[in-house]
Amino acid sequence: MRGENLSYWLKDFWSEFRKNTSGLVGLAFLGLFAAAAIFEPLLIPFAETNRKWRDITYWDDNPKSAPPAWTNWFASRKSAVSTVLRASETTEERSDGVRLVRHSFAYAFSYDRPPLDIIVHFKGSGNIPLIVGVQRPDGAELELFREQATVNDGEDVRIPLGKAAKSAVFDFAKGYEPEEATADIDIGQIRSVNVLFARAQEGMLARPEPLRGRYTFTLTVMLLDEASRIDEPRVVISGGVSGILGTDNSKRDLWSGMIAGVKWALLIGLLTAFVAVALGVVYGIVSAYFGGWVDAVMQRVFEIFVNMPLLPILIVMSAVFRPSIWFMILMMSAFFWVGPVKTVRAIALQIKEETYIEASRALGAGSARIIFRHMVPLLVPYSFASMALYVPGAVVYEATVSLLGLGDARIVTWGQLLRDALGGGAVLNGLWWWVVPPGISIALMGMTFAFIGFAMDKILHPKLRTR
Amino acid sequence: MFRRYLIKRILNGIFIYVVLIFLYSLLFNTTNEKTMKDQIEESIRVEASKLKNFTSDQVQKHILERRAFKYRIYHLDRPFFERVIWRTIDTLVFRFGNSTNILSARGDREVLRIVLEVMPRTILLFTTGILFEVGLGIWLGLKMAQKAGGPLDRTTSVMTMIVEGMPTWWLGMLMIMLFAYLVPIFPSGGMHRLPPPHGVLRIVDLLYHMALPLITLVFINTWAVAFLTRNIVLGILQEDYIMAARARGLPERRVLFGHTMRTAAPPITTIALLSLLASVFGNIVFEGIYSWPGMGNLYWVAVQRNDLPVLMGLLSVTTGLYVAGLVALDLIYGLLDPRIKVGGRA
Repeated sequence: MRGENLSYWLKDFWSEFRKNTSGLVGLAFLGLFAAAAIFEPLLIPFAETNRKWRDITYWDDNPKSAPPAWTNWFASRKSAVSTVLRASETTEERSDGVRLVRHSFAYAFSYDRPPLDIIVHFKGSGNIPLIVGVQRPDGAELELFREQATVNDGEDVRIPLGKAAKSAVFDFAKGYEPEEATADIDIGQIRSVNVLFARAQEGMLARPEPLRGRYTFTLTVMLLDEASRIDEPRVVISGGVSGILGTDNSKRDLWSGMIAGVKWALLIGLLTAFVAVALGVVYGIVSAYFGGWVDAVMQRVFEIFVNMPLLPILIVMSAVFRPSIWFMILMMSAFFWVGPVKTVRAIALQIKEETYIEASRALGAGSARIIFRHMVPLLVPYSFASMALYVPGAVVYEATVSLLGLGDARIVTWGQLLRDALGGGAVLNGLWWWVVPPGISIALMGMTFAFIGFAMDKILHPKLRTR
Repeated sequence: MFRRYLIKRILNGIFIYVVLIFLYSLLFNTTNEKTMKDQIEESIRVEASKLKNFTSDQVQKHILERRAFKYRIYHLDRPFFERVIWRTIDTLVFRFGNSTNILSARGDREVLRIVLEVMPRTILLFTTGILFEVGLGIWLGLKMAQKAGGPLDRTTSVMTMIVEGMPTWWLGMLMIMLFAYLVPIFPSGGMHRLPPPHGVLRIVDLLYHMALPLITLVFINTWAVAFLTRNIVLGILQEDYIMAARARGLPERRVLFGHTMRTAAPPITTIALLSLLASVFGNIVFEGIYSWPGMGNLYWVAVQRNDLPVLMGLLSVTTGLYVAGLVALDLIYGLLDPRIKVGGRA
């Protein structure tokens, strides 16, 4: 019987809700946010974003403060896009128990600005002589770097060619530059990647012109014994533009951070709103139901909470207690519950006088039973509507506390992205891709729940319908 | 009658303030006492280093005596509950003590002075903001109500919801990026150019620096006031006496301003001011983005430098202002709406 009632009520509710365009828009956005939270692992390119957000070495291969990749569409000179190349071809030769393994990485370069750096990576173990080379579109083959690498088991080897290939590139350029031009050049000043991607001609050191086409990087290793091996060879192209939302000044991928923040925003908003409204509804009903001095005391306590300036208290409490995100949610709930109390109490005062309440009391029902079985269910619709209206507040408050640097340092939230942006000078250096998306997301999250909340409010309180 | 209501409401406000301060003292007692003890230790160490011609035993004895003495005057040797009461009393008489590292403009470390120094600037910024917000909001709300359902009404309703969850400080960051970096027509922050000019120019300079923060505030807060005005006015426009006024052939302007606004003014003013008051305290850190040297900015500085005495003093003053604001609102409402004065009960 109860279940039927509920499903009937829901059907009724939905048929009303469907008519409300902004409510539907809100619902669609909520769906998007939920999807982003659920499919997070599929959406972010950097799988360990959540654990290693503050680990600088994890992000080392990315370019610093790079705009999003799609800004190339609007740029007159296209920058190379950051990407990771996997081995396109692997050959292995064997002689006298020594294996010569050669991995090739094809890179189609079709931009106006060369990458900022090219980084060769592999994992492995043993004493490994290695050679990194490249074949350019004009047919020239260069040996860029040669080393006898000693690798501990499973260790990641990182060879940034920008630094490692300076002398090789310089030697290559010398073949095209007149002697007097190269004589007084400091080899440390050479931007080797720029020269690597330059047309082979006079002036390629000072004014490199990009040479477009197919570059093939090779990593050749000599495995001297059976125990030596290399795994996961890859070449990271660190370009001038990167990813969907660019990178920050600590080279972190902002898209990954943004998506990782979705679940926290949803959690903070919904959990705070739920706990706060549940508390507030029960508080209001209890206050109305018992009346008399209980009501008087409870209203006084309520009044005191109403008179608290929320955000300043949250800031000071966070500064003193340095809360985790869970404690933060609890703190916010402890202040947000006052919201629904007044309305709930007013409604409950009416319900209390209904005859069926009197009847159940005559049948010997206890206060708890009356409150939770007969009064709370009547206020559920109202509490749902008001729940939606508390979500934006909670999200904004958490963001504000994070902005001050008092957020939980173990998670990634939008507020913390904005704090880093502010601290990193993003505002005054015009790094808009760092400032705009987190704020828009906070605003969108607020808007989503405002739409839903207002729509539900209209349905549940027909009196507020103005037209 | 109004005087009785006034006194009652003010006393109530004071009572609430005292309770809140007591709660703060209880909540932050451990931290407060730790800072106090640290400060006492520091001052004793300074004293001891000045002692000449003393044996180490004598110095030790002196330190112990001084410590006991200081603990006694700050009531640190009393039982827990009594200490909380003493802290409450200290806060209530504005004895906030000394900051740990923030200095006032004059160079001393008295928390009260530091807070009082910045308070007028916050009040200046936010009251100017509120004036604009209420003025613009009511005007916009009336326009909306006149043509309810029209394009203006719809846009404004949507805007209300869009800015609902938009942090003011974020909009501030955007504004700075747009109007101080991209199109540099406004200063990026501060209250005066350096060195500050004198005379009339000083005021012009102040207004110039205040423009961007003001625009940000007004842009965020006006919509809600407009939306509220629209709803209240729309409700009143359906009343019989409006119909009667229209039937008498009164011009629409008189119906709107003479009849509708007479009834709508009290609720609009109070509810609008209430929501704006809440938004002031909910957005106070926005000052930090513009380096507007007010209370919000002081919160930033105090958090950054971990200056707990300043934070505590700031919190007490903020709470006082907030409670006072709420009391003032109730009184304004009582003045505007004669029904409130009579019984004192809704």
